[in-house]
Amino acid sequence: MKKKIIGKGLLLAVLLMVLVTGLALPTCQPAQAIPRGWSGVAIADGALFLGSMEGKLVALDSATQQRLWDDVPFTQKQSSSLGCQQGTLAVAIYGTPAVTAELVYITGYNGKLYAINRQTGASRWVYPREEVLDPIVGGVVVAEGKLYFGSSDGVLYALDAATGDKLWTFASGGKIWGTPAVNGATVYIGSFDKKLYALNVADGGLKWQFETEGAIVSTPLVYDGTVYFGSFDRYLYALNETDGQLRWKYQGDNWFWARPLVDDGIIYAASVDGKVYALTADKGDTVAVFDLESPVSASPVSVAGNVIMVVEAGRVYSLDAGTRQKKMLAELGEPVYASLAASDGVIYIHSADDVLHAVNAQTGAELWSFELESE
Amino acid sequence: MVGEIWDLIILSPMINVLIVVSGFLFNNFGLAIIVLTLIVRGITMPLNLKQIRSTKALQELQPKMAELHKKFGKDRQKLAQEQMRLYRESGVNPAGCLLPMLVQLPIWIALFQSIIRVLAVIPEDFLKLSGHLYTSWSQVFSLVPLNSQFLWLDLAMPDGIYLLPILVGGTMWLQQKMVTPRTGDPRQQAQSQMMLWVMPLMFAFLTMQFPSGLALYWVISNVISIGMQYFITGGWGGLTSEAATKPAGRDKKYITRITRVEEKASDYRETEADIGADVGADIAATEVSPKGGAGPARFQPSLRAIKRHPKKSKRPKRR
Repeated sequence: MKKKIIGKGLLLAVLLMVLVTGLALPTCQPAQAIPRGWSGVAIADGALFLGSMEGKLVALDSATQQRLWDDVPFTQKQSSSLGCQQGTLAVAIYGTPAVTAELVYITGYNGKLYAINRQTGASRWVYPREEVLDPIVGGVVVAEGKLYFGSSDGVLYALDAATGDKLWTFASGGKIWGTPAVNGATVYIGSFDKKLYALNVADGGLKWQFETEGAIVSTPLVYDGTVYFGSFDRYLYALNETDGQLRWKYQGDNWFWARPLVDDGIIYAASVDGKVYALTADKGDTVAVFDLESPVSASPVSVAGNVIMVVEAGRVYSLDAGTRQKKMLAELGEPVYASLAASDGVIYIHSADDVLHAVNAQTGAELWSFELESE
Repeated sequence: MVGEIWDLIILSPMINVLIVVSGFLFNNFGLAIIVLTLIVRGITMPLNLKQIRSTKALQELQPKMAELHKKFGKDRQKLAQEQMRLYRESGVNPAGCLLPMLVQLPIWIALFQSIIRVLAVIPEDFLKLSGHLYTSWSQVFSLVPLNSQFLWLDLAMPDGIYLLPILVGGTMWLQQKMVTPRTGDPRQQAQSQMMLWVMPLMFAFLTMQFPSGLALYWVISNVISIGMQYFITGGWGGLTSEAATKPAGRDKKYITRITRVEEKASDYRETEADIGADVGADIAATEVSPKGGAGPARFQPSLRAIKRHPKKSKRPKRR
């Protein structure tokens, strides 16, 4: 009996050790969740560009679903410790790439921005060249020969889009995980310091700032002289574009993560509470509230007068605030966090199983799907 | 289903409490973890007290165990029976020492999950945080993500200067050393030594892998254990060269039982005499070994305790 009791005790101890060490040992790296990424799709002249969950830039012909060039892999060094050999890890890509006539820009969670030749897939330049920034979660925006992106170090970077030379930086008081928005001579960016900043594109000078009660990840929308953005304090804000004065605000039930969208004078703001709030752009009056019953973190698109939303559960909806109707277009069966993209009546959705889906925006029929993971 | 229950009962309450407590403590997540540790150890206090007392009682049984080994060493079945009888009669559970640690395992897992969510370590986990926040607690929405800096630590990452692994391993070793029984039995001695070194080394290693917020919990928890051990047993236990412990440290619950067992020592002697074994030599061997360990030294205060509690030291009926 005593043997049994001691045996049980030792068995429990061994189980405990196996359980706890099992979490730490197999990967030979710190016991933390591994970032996988959720890159959206950039579309240019029938070509689709997106980051895969294997840390590669993939370029596809939307008509033939053939790769335009070999995937471009991005890797980072794995830190070595305790006899674990130093190796390389795939870089997680969260931001949607940006495309110009010559280059494709893509941000990595390893704290690098890459400029890739759009025609060949060859690397043109990388920023910064030697060291790395803190993780980059937001995407990159290109306008008037300049590109803008933010990093978890709290800094917004403005680079020369052709050469990658740094033009100016702006330091906020918290991490930047959102994608900037550019409108004319102003670039807007939200920060974990709860503030939205309006900066001069020429030199990064602060035009105005607006403080909320929560962190800001949502990419701002600029429409008709007003800046719309959501915050973690559960409010959607509408600010005067010129001076940052509050026009109105609207409270949801949880965070606003996705970028708001405007269609026919109505703002559609999706929340992770599973609801989409349709509000009048000028006063913020409620037009309709759509309950999609699953958090929405993917930024929506508008196709031919229909607002297309995808929820984390993988369901795709078409919303019409005029008729207050929601229509489920498709059910992908996999979670979706990546921003949507649309072109020529087709919606492109990058699901969490690393598959790119092409869905007809009217009928919801899946036109094709493409597994991004290499065989 | 299990995941939903886990979230509802353990993870979500822990996340929201940690966030609110951080808010009260100058947005300092490190202090919130320390408060959480105090709360958890407060809740599990009865269990820990039971464990400490049980461990101490186990130590006090060591002379008896040594006796049994000498007498029945060759008959393993009989030895096991007698040892079990000794444990049963004294109310000691040798596996009881692990229970408080196992009870805390869900807390560790939940704390690990809480840390990677509230500190916005990676976007996937941070996004999941929204589903855990209590919508009726408006302040939690304005407090996240929490600041991960505490002293020299980034609570979301392992300690880069390896001070925390030393603290975790060191405090765990101290605690383990305090409860390690002194025994003349080489087999048990080896087992005790293994436990004394394996667990601290394992946790020191884990500290190098896990977010330092979790290791902070371990350090504070170990310090609390050391304090409890000190005050309840009335000394540094196995840390001191002097093996004797204060009789006052004995728990009343075990006094009667151990006293009975100690009284039974004479029964054993009688039994031994009946079967012609050299019991006198055994007793002498256990009671005299001055450097042999805690056995005899612990035995003596126990006998003194019998004298102080004459009513409780009634001789049990022989079966």
